Amino acid sequence: MISVNTREQPWREGLNVQSLLDKMGYVFRHIIVRVNGEYVPEEAYAARLIADGDDVQVLHLIAGG
Amino acid sequence: MKILTHKQEICTGCRECEVACSQAFFRTDDRLKSSIRINNNFNTFHAIMCTQCGECINMCTAHAIYRDKNGVVRIDRKLCVGCLGCVGFCSELSMFYSDDLLVPFKCVACGICVKACPEDALEILVSQSKGD
Amino acid sequence: MGKILKQIRYTPAKIERGYSNKSLYINVGDLRIEEKEVTEFMKEKFVGGKGFDLWYLWNAVTPETRWDSPENEIVMSVGPLGGITQYSGTGKTLVCAISPLTGIPIDSNAGGYFGPLLKFAGWDALELQGKAEKDLIIFIDGNEGLISIEEGEEYPEDTHLLAEELTARFAGSEEDKVHVSVVSSGSAAKHVLMGMLNFTFYDPRRKTVRVKQAARGGLGTILRDKHIKALVVKFKGIKPNLNNPADISAINRIGVKYHKEMHDLDEKQNGMRKIGTANTILVMNKYDLLPTRNFQTGGDPEAVKISPEVFITQYLTQGLHDGCWYGCTMSCAKAADHFKLLTGPYAGQCVTVDGPEYECVAGLGSNLGIFDPQAILEQNFYCDTYGIDLISYATTVAFIMECYEREQIGPEHTGGLDLRFGNASASLELMHQMSRGEGFGLLAGLGIRRLKKVFAERFGADPKLLEDIGMENKGLEYSEYLHKESLAQQGGFALTNKGPQHDEAWLIFMDMVNNQIPSFEDKAYALFYYPMFRTWFGLCGLCKLPWNDIVPADNYKTDTPAKVPEHVQNYVDIFNAVTGKKIDKDELIRQSERVYNFQRVFNLRMGSGLRQHDKAPYRSLGPATAEEYLSRQERYDKQLRELQGLDPSAMSLAEKIAATRAWRENQFELLIDAVYKRRGWTNNGVPKPDHLKAIGMDLPMLLEVVEKHL
Repeated sequence: MISVNTREQPWREGLNVQSLLDKMGYVFRHIIVRVNGEYVPEEAYAARLIADGDDVQVLHLIAGG
Repeated sequence: MKILTHKQEICTGCRECEVACSQAFFRTDDRLKSSIRINNNFNTFHAIMCTQCGECINMCTAHAIYRDKNGVVRIDRKLCVGCLGCVGFCSELSMFYSDDLLVPFKCVACGICVKACPEDALEILVSQSKGD
Repeated sequence: MGKILKQIRYTPAKIERGYSNKSLYINVGDLRIEEKEVTEFMKEKFVGGKGFDLWYLWNAVTPETRWDSPENEIVMSVGPLGGITQYSGTGKTLVCAISPLTGIPIDSNAGGYFGPLLKFAGWDALELQGKAEKDLIIFIDGNEGLISIEEGEEYPEDTHLLAEELTARFAGSEEDKVHVSVVSSGSAAKHVLMGMLNFTFYDPRRKTVRVKQAARGGLGTILRDKHIKALVVKFKGIKPNLNNPADISAINRIGVKYHKEMHDLDEKQNGMRKIGTANTILVMNKYDLLPTRNFQTGGDPEAVKISPEVFITQYLTQGLHDGCWYGCTMSCAKAADHFKLLTGPYAGQCVTVDGPEYECVAGLGSNLGIFDPQAILEQNFYCDTYGIDLISYATTVAFIMECYEREQIGPEHTGGLDLRFGNASASLELMHQMSRGEGFGLLAGLGIRRLKKVFAERFGADPKLLEDIGMENKGLEYSEYLHKESLAQQGGFALTNKGPQHDEAWLIFMDMVNNQIPSFEDKAYALFYYPMFRTWFGLCGLCKLPWNDIVPADNYKTDTPAKVPEHVQNYVDIFNAVTGKKIDKDELIRQSERVYNFQRVFNLRMGSGLRQHDKAPYRSLGPATAEEYLSRQERYDKQLRELQGLDPSAMSLAEKIAATRAWRENQFELLIDAVYKRRGWTNNGVPKPDHLKAIGMDLPMLLEVVEKHL
């Protein structure tokens, strides 16, 4: 299991940031991703693997009206 | 269209152009009031001045920027509200401002610096296109 | 030109550090025109903008004042930062009055040039009191020093005609038109309680008058009830130092930095310069947050038909400056040019439609089950020219459509109008009826609170159902965000001063998606900080969008990226640079707290302002109907299991709905407890005297009201 925004989510081998975003339906572009506190830039989403037990934060910065 | 151009390989960095420009338009010898800025990059001197690209024309929040009959981009001082949007938006970083002035300023290809340059590093080019 | 009824000359005050220090009072009944001093007390306690408005309004009305009492005032003020040109979003005017919909003060925020030009004409605020017998035009010339009240019966009512005519008349030439700004409503405002105010600016590139709105609360209804047809202000000579700031160098530096940020980053971020606030439509749809068919669900596959791309490529003119005050490089007030109208009295004409904003696409689109961009723009246009608050209209008609679909009302009540979801021509016909003052449009224009009564008492509708699905709080209709899964946003809407407008707090993503405010205390802090922070824009003349609809490239590195700390610091620095004061981020919040608590006590004074008045309709809190429960059954069943330890497989649908409801209603009460505590209020929602003292607002007039409710 991993935690995404402090909520438990299932983990599988080979999970990376991009596939996690796809799975969660997080299509909004203007986000900040941190894995175990470390910032992951957009260009690294596909490459950055997520390990079992990792803590992932996906902050959507959407301003609203 | 008239555009000021600069030959890096000839320029000695004497900055007489800056003196001439700020004197002509603001009666002061102050490079921060010059519309041409010569920057020293490991003893290679390159110049920043308006290329008359005209990107500022459509974004001007007061509809105060236009092309004159020579294709030179100019600010209408009567219409300008001093918002400095053009300064922030200029991709060439060649729209300048000063806190004691209400309106920004830029190169208008007048040729005064060309005459002042002792090395003939500056030239006004006249191209066929009138710009936008 | 109508007969001049009164004319006076004055010497326009010079602006010092953002203030002219004078306000203008006009009584349209007896034609009194008076100048008042803006005092140091006012500036200290109220800052400007909404603060000044509420101060003047309190002093004008009594607890018995109704919206149509002659002593009710429309007060408008732009605030000390209003009219600077170097930063984005610095021309917003705040307008207050006792609202026809709520009976308590409404505060509504408008772009356009009127407020800044009014200030430069010498007036920090304008009070309009009394009632005229016949329509008037009020004209203020800030260069000549002239105030003129003249007959205005002969002018058209609808803004797209009226404002063009007045702009042309008061401008000496085409070049002079940018110096003129008009405030007007429209033909519907006489017939509905949700009439709004248009504030104009002239667009020299398009050569047309553009409109922004002070939309919420029924201000246009009051304007027309007072028989004011329009206000016109003229001022020539906008310069970056007109506010006589203490430190123009700082303002220039921060302005250039921000413009550069906009140039470099807007396209990668929200694309405000291309599409404006509607950039979020498909995102909201994807995240199940786009209000659909009266807030029943969070989206629809057909939403692609009303996506930002559709408007950008097919309707909105690109590449022209679209800021609603000088210096705004966010430039988000987009427009559809050469738009051909298909219905109504102006059918066949090609017009410029100001919009669509997000609220328009979500409100007049998905929330009505309408997925036709042309119909959305046409409704947008008619709301604007007729003077109808688009948000109140959309949420009211969404309610009506659901009542119709559920056969709570029928064609015999609607005069034959087939008001099912998706029927755009029926919605447009309703607007035309509002303009003409006839038919079902007259009932619809009452707004949801009164409609619920009419439907139940006269048409035999089920009052319990209506109470659940009628999306109003305090008498004002909710704005267009689906929030039934965000407890924080439920508070963000219901625990407002004026009613459920999202300008106080917009917490949906922070709450539901980012999960940044999981505990009650976290939510209570957010419902303290954000309303206080966002209130501040309305004290100063600022638009909130430049605060967080773009963020610096390194914002993600900060501790609190949602607050956008660099932009908050920009505002603190600019405030100090204009006024010469030395506030910091804490004092900024304190300034807002003073006005916010003043407004809460004002609500109390007007017979509202208690916990019972902060009640929310159940659809705001959870799935009110079987269809809603079933549409998200997996989610709701999971919550029954995880949050309440119940077994949904052993429960009937009715039992599951009831258990979910009991839980959610209780959660909402717990939230209210936490928020009131954080705000320094009693458990009944009354600001405590020691809290008022702590924030420097222990004024005798407030303590007198508060003490009655302790």
